[in-house]
Amino acid sequence: MDVHISSYLLVALILFCVGLFGALTKRNAIVVLLSIELMLNAVNINLVAFSKYGVNAAISGQIFTLFTMTVAAAEVAVGIAILISLYRNRDTVNVDEMDQLKD
Amino acid sequence: MDTMMQYAWLVPLFPLIAFAIILSFGRQLKEGAAYISILFTGASLLLSLLTFWERFKDGAQDYVFSMTWLKVGDYVIPAGFEINQLNAMMLVIVTTVSLLVQIYSRGYMHGDSRFPVFYQYLALFTFAMLGLVISPNLLQVYIFWELVGACSFLLVGYYFFKPQAKAAAKKAFIVTRIGDVGLFIAICLLFWQTGSFAFEDIFTAVENGKVEPAIITLSAILIFVGAAGKSGQFPLHTWLPDAMEGPTPVSALIHAATMVAAGVYLVAASFPLFIASPEALNVVAYVGGFTAIFAATIGITQRDIKRVLAYSTVSQLGFMMMALGVAGAAGYVAGTFHLMTHAFFKALLFLAAGSVIHAVHTQDVFQMGGLSKRMPITSFVFLIGCLAIAGVPPFSGFWSKEEILAAIFSQGRFDLLIIAMLAAFCTAFYMFRLYYLTFKGEATTEATKKAHESPSTMTLPMLILAVLAIIAGFINLPNNPILGNWLMSGTVGQYIMERYTEEAGHGGVWLQVTAVVISLLGIGLAYLMYGKKSVSSDIISEQVPWLYRLSYRKYYIDEIYDVVFVRSFRGLGHLLSLFDRYVVGGIGFLVGWTARAIGGVNSRLQTGQLQMFGLVVLMGLVILVVSLTTLGGVPYGQ
Amino acid sequence: MSASYLVFFLLGLLTIGGAVFMINFKRVVHMVIAVGVSFLSIAGLFVLLGAEFVAISQILVYSGAISILMLFGIMLTKHDASEEGSKSKGRVWLTFLGVAALFVVIFTGIQNTNWSAIPVKENTSSLSNVKEIGIEVFTKYVIPFELVSVLLLVALVGAIVMAKKEEE
Repeated sequence: MDVHISSYLLVALILFCVGLFGALTKRNAIVVLLSIELMLNAVNINLVAFSKYGVNAAISGQIFTLFTMTVAAAEVAVGIAILISLYRNRDTVNVDEMDQLKD
Repeated sequence: MDTMMQYAWLVPLFPLIAFAIILSFGRQLKEGAAYISILFTGASLLLSLLTFWERFKDGAQDYVFSMTWLKVGDYVIPAGFEINQLNAMMLVIVTTVSLLVQIYSRGYMHGDSRFPVFYQYLALFTFAMLGLVISPNLLQVYIFWELVGACSFLLVGYYFFKPQAKAAAKKAFIVTRIGDVGLFIAICLLFWQTGSFAFEDIFTAVENGKVEPAIITLSAILIFVGAAGKSGQFPLHTWLPDAMEGPTPVSALIHAATMVAAGVYLVAASFPLFIASPEALNVVAYVGGFTAIFAATIGITQRDIKRVLAYSTVSQLGFMMMALGVAGAAGYVAGTFHLMTHAFFKALLFLAAGSVIHAVHTQDVFQMGGLSKRMPITSFVFLIGCLAIAGVPPFSGFWSKEEILAAIFSQGRFDLLIIAMLAAFCTAFYMFRLYYLTFKGEATTEATKKAHESPSTMTLPMLILAVLAIIAGFINLPNNPILGNWLMSGTVGQYIMERYTEEAGHGGVWLQVTAVVISLLGIGLAYLMYGKKSVSSDIISEQVPWLYRLSYRKYYIDEIYDVVFVRSFRGLGHLLSLFDRYVVGGIGFLVGWTARAIGGVNSRLQTGQLQMFGLVVLMGLVILVVSLTTLGGVPYGQ
Repeated sequence: MSASYLVFFLLGLLTIGGAVFMINFKRVVHMVIAVGVSFLSIAGLFVLLGAEFVAISQILVYSGAISILMLFGIMLTKHDASEEGSKSKGRVWLTFLGVAALFVVIFTGIQNTNWSAIPVKENTSSLSNVKEIGIEVFTKYVIPFELVSVLLLVALVGAIVMAKKEEE
């Protein structure tokens, strides 16, 4: 008997919650990006776990994971580029100071 | 039936066309606007003379033209025109005076920068006044009634750059409006009671006893309130002297001959209604009598030539009201007769006064004097006007005033008779005081010395009016009352005759003699004081200065109104403004504050920080999931 | 208590530990290292789940590329960037409560699910994991696959445009 699926889900849940907490409270934009990556990874764990133990266990879950990774990589690349650009213009990576949406 | 009366509707239409033309092409026409206006008013005069002559000759039946104007449910509100004895006469008076005043104005207003506008207003006024006269129902009367009021407002405020003129225009409008409200309520009451606006229907309903006596009295008095507002009867007279701020031809046309007489005309036109209510007639008589003596005493002390004439107008209108109020066929005839003669001689006096003002550029009689040598025609016609108004035979004023006195006497109203005689004495006195101060004695100022006669466009109308002021009285001589008989032959006249069977009595020769003696006494006193100066004119002002001041300050009526109405309403206004500021404004502020507070809270939420948004989204998600699971939205675990 | 349990427990602990450390570290560089540990552990979890290809990709993409990218980001912005002067306590607590509530809700959901009712289908494919993925990607998911390649290209161009110095 393998490790039960709910254990994987639990790990993913904790990871997701920690990532969410970090994304909502951290002030450094890079850390926020890292937190988001954690959340994505939590999702990935779920996908892979279900691809093995799900109702319709199939390889699709793993392929979805690969897609997620690709998108995440693209997201980080663009995100870091935005941050660098922002830093150049405003001399900060503090999320609290990025409030142009208010206007 | 082919009569001139069918075309009577053209009479008011001509001035309206003139108004439209001047309105459209005033800039191009410049002073040519006068010719347009004069031409069309002349056409009106011709037509109204033909109409009058036809009625006078044949004594034809009243002509009423009516068509449906509005249909409200079951009510049909007609519009049309009516020609009867009274308004045929009025048509002639209005068009005559209007035409002469317009000819006169061409000289008087020469060089004025708003010359076409002046004629535009005059034409509009003439249209409104003629429309008022031929209206067959109260609704139409009311419409034109307001229109003449508006024209009066415009013309009094013609020199709007002068603060006094602006204030006077406003006062004229507001004070007459008080009366207009009375008229409006009366019209509503009558419509409510009889279901019609037409004079005929109302009279029939009143005669058949379909209207409660209390309502008759009330509505008659309310109509009189409206008439008092227009005709400057006490206590709504205050606007009329102030209205002298307007150009003098306007004073002559509107505030002497026509519009102010509209009140008298209205009472005369709805006379059957008044006859049905002795109380209303008494109100008319006593208010008229009081106004006559009251205004006459003020007129004695005024220094402004136009104001003296204005108070004299008020006083004379009081005479007419008194004549109507004592009722009887004689009163009715006397009132309308005096209305006609007064229109001529008072217009004459105003035009002559305007001629003087035009020459010396002042209105203060104490700065005039000795003008009879330099302005012989003006002086001559002014003297005729004075003799007419003072009631010296054979001038027209004598016949009409004597008629009024006779009517009062025949009804046995001795209290009113004494008032009337006192007022007549005062009238004679102040008119000749005016004459001596203006035209006799020595010139006192430079302007007076250099004065010269007015151009012929101004003297010609005055001369025509002077002729009318002399001969108008002969139309209704005591032993040959042509006008009286003719008026009594009309429908309204017949109606009055039925109610008052006694003959239009005359007090006999002694009354005429007394009237003349009283007039001559007044003239004599004025001569002694201001002509020969053998009696000091300061005798009263020195002996009883308070009496003089009371009269000079017009019995402080304006001041009393200021305290009683203006101040109290201003106080009320202040209270209301406080209420508005702190209660209404407070509510308004509270609403605004609440909205701003909510907005403030919201904008605090809108920090623009992504993480804050994320937190809110998270909260929303949690609440959604919790509520869905606990409330059984999503079954799971099965 | 089989070996797989032990391995799972260890990897799970490292994953969550790395994440928690990331949250608690002060210096950003340390955070990146902590999160790298977490990523590697997740790769281990993938191996445990029989997804070898995904696990390798995880190591390459996350632990390699993304972590290094993050370090570059730190380098190019603030060299000694750190988490100092945290936000208002109230908001942190509010966020914590919200996250905890979410955790409780989902945890309850997981616990209450009757997993035994679900027939566990072991993946019985005879093919190797990499081959299986390759067949699927190039048959069933060929269009999304190509689209993702376009996405990466766009992201690449976009990142360069954004990050390059603006010309005066």
